[in-house]
Amino acid sequence: MNPKRIAAVATKEAKEVLRDPITVGVALIMPLVMLLLFGYAITLDVDDIPMGVLDQDRTPASRQLSEAFTASETFRLERELSDPQAMERALQRGEIRLALIIPPGFERALARHEPSPVQLLVDGTFSATATLVGGHALAIASGFGHAAPSSALHLETRVWYNPSLSSVHTVVPGLYAVILMAFPPLLTALALVREKETGTIAQIYASPLSSVEFLAGKLMPYAIIAFVQMAMVIGVGFLWFGVPFRGSVAFLLAISLLYVLCTLGIGLLVSAVTRTQLVALLAVLIVTLMPSLLFSGMLFPIFTMPYVVQLYTLAFPGRYFVDISRGVVLKGVGLEVLWPSIAIVAVYTLLVFALAAWRLKKKVA
Amino acid sequence: MRLRSLLHKELIQFFRDPVVLFLIFWLYTIEVVICAYALGMEMRDLPLAVVDADESPISRRLIDDFVAGGNFRLVAHLRDVAAAEPYLERGEAQAVLVIPVDFERELYRGSGQALQFVIDGSNANTAAVARGYALQTVEAFRMRQGTLDERPLATVTAQLRTWYNPDQTNVNFTVLAMIALAGLMIGVVHPAASIVREKEVGTIEQLMVTPIRRGELFIAKTVPTLLIGLIAVLPSLALVGWFGVPVRGNLSLFFALTALFLFSAIGLGVLVAAVSRTLQQALLLAFFGLFPLMFLSGTMVPVESMPNLLQRLSLASPLRHYLEITLGIFLKGVGMEILWPHALALVVIGMPLYLAAWLIFRRLP
Repeated sequence: MNPKRIAAVATKEAKEVLRDPITVGVALIMPLVMLLLFGYAITLDVDDIPMGVLDQDRTPASRQLSEAFTASETFRLERELSDPQAMERALQRGEIRLALIIPPGFERALARHEPSPVQLLVDGTFSATATLVGGHALAIASGFGHAAPSSALHLETRVWYNPSLSSVHTVVPGLYAVILMAFPPLLTALALVREKETGTIAQIYASPLSSVEFLAGKLMPYAIIAFVQMAMVIGVGFLWFGVPFRGSVAFLLAISLLYVLCTLGIGLLVSAVTRTQLVALLAVLIVTLMPSLLFSGMLFPIFTMPYVVQLYTLAFPGRYFVDISRGVVLKGVGLEVLWPSIAIVAVYTLLVFALAAWRLKKKVA
Repeated sequence: MRLRSLLHKELIQFFRDPVVLFLIFWLYTIEVVICAYALGMEMRDLPLAVVDADESPISRRLIDDFVAGGNFRLVAHLRDVAAAEPYLERGEAQAVLVIPVDFERELYRGSGQALQFVIDGSNANTAAVARGYALQTVEAFRMRQGTLDERPLATVTAQLRTWYNPDQTNVNFTVLAMIALAGLMIGVVHPAASIVREKEVGTIEQLMVTPIRRGELFIAKTVPTLLIGLIAVLPSLALVGWFGVPVRGNLSLFFALTALFLFSAIGLGVLVAAVSRTLQQALLLAFFGLFPLMFLSGTMVPVESMPNLLQRLSLASPLRHYLEITLGIFLKGVGMEILWPHALALVVIGMPLYLAAWLIFRRLP
């Protein structure tokens, strides 16, 4: 290991990266775009759901019921429906997601204290919201005309770590895991495979550079880019989205360094086993980006997944980093709680590098 | 004739790379299966810790109620609230139910009773769902205990039905959304990679000096991806059958509109290829485009929950229209009479991309 040689490779690679404004631009703008999209868009809050009312009773009581729906912020009266056909078409077109059907005789039954049936039709195509929409609608309908519930037994809920239940506070720390998983491996994998594809890697093999020196130098600029990305995302999350930072920033940055090494290592491993950039890109999509979005617990909680899939999630370091990052940022915990996850990321990193080095060495020899 | 041999060459090139074929196959099938299993479930089995200070038959019955429906899974029975904290910190429990001393006695006396429910808010959506489940459980428990004397003034009995997806599963949605997503990734990435690769290794110049016209080259580069995209849908249709996703609409219409969708995705891919010099740039740019398109499509987060501005932006994502088309054909069984605006949108999005790509392509040296 000769630090001078490493520095030389790193400088050459950095120059090459800097000469390419598209790569640098994408690397720096993309995390911010992701952060803004995620920050504003990831929420399953249901409000302003377009609904239609088919009022076949047309009495003060039926109007009151439909007003009970539209008075809540959950539903917005998109249209009054004249007949069942119009209702069906509106649901099919997706103009409304909920239809309330009040049959004739609704008011009369209500006045006699008889059960007055109404129908609620929910568009189930977007299942994630359908359940919530249905729940809200049922609650409004069955609460209609009731007195406020007595206080004989009530549930007092308290939310820890994120009292306002803000999605942004959930998403931003999770996003650290995704962003660091999406870009560093992609950049390193492509940079290395390109040398293979254009044949310049043969020159490296022929030079006095050892493979470790070559890789260390090659990875360094990308590690720096990854770190800048991380700092940007932390800064924007903190200043723009007001995510509280309860734990230690220094601690999170230290763990991020480990995690970045791990993700760079994955990129390296992908480049060691692939021959073309297209294959490298697809492989990176499959082993890093998709799992870190879908199976890290960032969006979908892991404990609801079937057991086999839970085991599958264990194979992706993103899952551990989501725990670490949410733990530090929201819960304010440190090493004493997080050491198992950190240890796993460390072991993972070593393994990935060992595998990649072994693969590459075999090629050189 | 020239066009045909050129097409022939592209197809040979395509099928010669088994790794790419395998990865495409992976995205269209295995990724779909994993996601359908992993993300198709309702949120269940939320890990719950219980602090039962009363230890009475009634408090035990309440705890049973929490666990019985499968919404919660009991992970620990604790002495006091302080003991619960590490469970939340380590993420081993998602919520803690605290039953106060004298719960049974107070309940029979009908005096005010507050159960405490502490939720880990670090995942806001999970926390909201947990709160909803807890409220429902306590409400049902309250009704059954019959300690209440309040008689509703009137009874509205709402009958809730979910259309297009009566079982309220996510599986149908997940399977269809992942297939659509695979189409987008392949549609954009593959043509981009195949064009830039020729630029990078210099073979594009060789093609330019042959009598092949630009237009022919352009077509030859895009048709194979379209074909592959259509062929790749076939195995995923088998998955549609496997997961019992209903096919209520017309499959040939689905294929026709899939072709239209691939056309707009390929337009983007070719445009990316036309403006970039290296494959690394092209892939990064493609990626840069893919992410917002994917995000704003409704495949991951329902479009309705997004802020207005993002909802409007989402209209520019071909994936959003394709998703509506796919869900419409499979789940709602609708045809062109309903879907034409989305089909039109695909044309409106695809044409300018294609045209721009063509204009740049024509001026290549």
